[in-house]
Amino acid sequence: MFSSFRLSMTWMHTWVGLVLGYVLMVCFFFGALSVFDREIDRWAIPETRFEPQTLPSYDTMLRPIFEQMQPSRESLEEASARIGGRTPEFTPAAGFGAYTTHRDPVLELYSEYHVTNNPADPHDHVYGYATIDPRTGRQLPDDQLKIGSEFFYPLHFSLHFEWLDIGYWLVGIAALVMLAALVSGVVIHRKIFREFFTFRPNKQTQRSALDLHNLTGVVGLPFHFFFALTGLIVFAGIYFPVGHTMLEPVHELHEQREAAAKGLAFDPAGVPAPIASVDAMVEEAKRRWAARDMSGEVGYLGVTHVGDANSYVSVYRAGTDRVTLTGQGIHFNATTGAVILEEPSPSAVEGITDFMTGLHLQHFRHWMLRWLYVMGGLAGCACIATGFIFFVEKRKRQHAKAGVSGARWADAMAVTAVTGMVIAAVAILVGNRLLPAGLADRGVWEERIFWFAWLAALLHAAWRSAPVQQARIAPAWREQCWAIAVLAVAAVLLNWITTGDHLITTIGEGYWPVAGVDLSLLVSAAIAAFAARKLRLRELTATQPAGRTVDTAAEAAHA
Amino acid sequence: MAASASTTAPTALQVISRIAASFLGGWLFVWGLTVFGISFGVWAGADYHQMESLMYLLAFVVFLVVFLWAYAAASLKRVWYVLAGGGALMTAAAWLLIPSLTA
Repeated sequence: MFSSFRLSMTWMHTWVGLVLGYVLMVCFFFGALSVFDREIDRWAIPETRFEPQTLPSYDTMLRPIFEQMQPSRESLEEASARIGGRTPEFTPAAGFGAYTTHRDPVLELYSEYHVTNNPADPHDHVYGYATIDPRTGRQLPDDQLKIGSEFFYPLHFSLHFEWLDIGYWLVGIAALVMLAALVSGVVIHRKIFREFFTFRPNKQTQRSALDLHNLTGVVGLPFHFFFALTGLIVFAGIYFPVGHTMLEPVHELHEQREAAAKGLAFDPAGVPAPIASVDAMVEEAKRRWAARDMSGEVGYLGVTHVGDANSYVSVYRAGTDRVTLTGQGIHFNATTGAVILEEPSPSAVEGITDFMTGLHLQHFRHWMLRWLYVMGGLAGCACIATGFIFFVEKRKRQHAKAGVSGARWADAMAVTAVTGMVIAAVAILVGNRLLPAGLADRGVWEERIFWFAWLAALLHAAWRSAPVQQARIAPAWREQCWAIAVLAVAAVLLNWITTGDHLITTIGEGYWPVAGVDLSLLVSAAIAAFAARKLRLRELTATQPAGRTVDTAAEAAHA
Repeated sequence: MAASASTTAPTALQVISRIAASFLGGWLFVWGLTVFGISFGVWAGADYHQMESLMYLLAFVVFLVVFLWAYAAASLKRVWYVLAGGGALMTAAAWLLIPSLTA
């Protein structure tokens, strides 16, 4: 099929990269935003704009809240679908969990219940969720969408396409293609060292787009490779679900043996038992961490087999001071409060896995590294976006002559994937500030605004890319840049009007979660406006015959 | 870009087959490698989770290599034989090993 290795790599890079590039844009862009997901949550839910808190008392605050929790409506609906439409019957709570990080003012709570009327799956469960203000124990309304951690973050690995895990699979395929595109990109070019320093913005768009494509690809190569690879490893259990299919009996046996070896009961005893002071267990866990020179706060607290003689309490450390994910878990007998197990250091293989996933998930406290992650993610977006532009520029004259429209549609899709995606992301923030406070299913409406804004960008791009068929620039790029600029400024103004938090206050008080989002929006607006103006100049010069084009649509396009 | 002329232009079926080989064939091969690797490791006395972590660390690197090879290889037939055939063989070998692991 191909006469040389390089030709085969070029073909694959071009076509597989084009098709999966649209998915990769989503992964890289919303992955970059996820670095500050907690901060975006603060912007979106003004009543949670206070300092991060440590875990409150279980005995006096969390326990009564846990005992009142119920399975969520969605969880019950899903369970109902699994048992043929009947109403699921469930036990009192069998498990509780509380999760926080060094960036969370609010505390997330989970509860778990056994479903008793699903004969097909005796281990079927339903779950309850709550978010509380740990200073008072007040529960926050559960229809508030945490735009950062509940919308942007899952979008970058599931596309919010949960059915049959199709979103996860698309992202997985895209990540594999990213790895392949990086390797094939190096094979295609060879002069890899020179790519580091080559950017000729004043050449033709095709040339400068390729320069920037190579530059961002080469400079970001280790970052891009590592994130695509570790992303795949995080979800390896979905892509190769060996433990729940072929190897299920081996896996189950191992789990039971491991639980027995650790002294952690796999199943409840069926005998009711009281619970000792969990606060005392937390104190003991902290004392033991400090003794190992790893003093720190609790990241996760869990109670398994609640109210049963086999119940145990697990306390994990928040991983703020190291890359690796290991939480130095300590498990206590819930009835006596005695330590059952202090988890040993991970083995070499587990240590590598924990380190790699930890580097991707970045629970550690290091703000400069966080910003480098954002820059890496945006460099990935620039790389993919300039790939699209190169693809279009290389073909649009031939296509115009031949009267085919391939380049036009590729360009329209690129507009949708680049500027359209940013429009959607800013539109959900604007919607968040505009929707009335008491609106039923407010979070659902915010998500709808996101998807409709993106759909509108797609239709606009399809319409305003027509000039590409005459080998000209699509005005869609410029118009959508203006839309980004207007929406981003509107979001900042709306935040000020609806909450009173303008930049002078937030910067003055040093409240960076909100100040940071506002500033990022303003910078995005400035870049978008700059790009739009440059694009206009380009459109004007490009309409003159054989125009010596003098600008950087490539740079503009990835803004 | 290399200037050498391409061999005969590929048919649509060849292109589809090559893409399918890279994704599906690659997946089958890595699936086989993963289940066989874990089964063999457990059979040889290793811990299940250790083997699972190890195979998951290797899986996507191997996938990347076979994915690229599916495009680079001259013979498409050989690609299918190795990826789908190899994947099936390793899966079958794991399947034979599994009963002895829970005994």
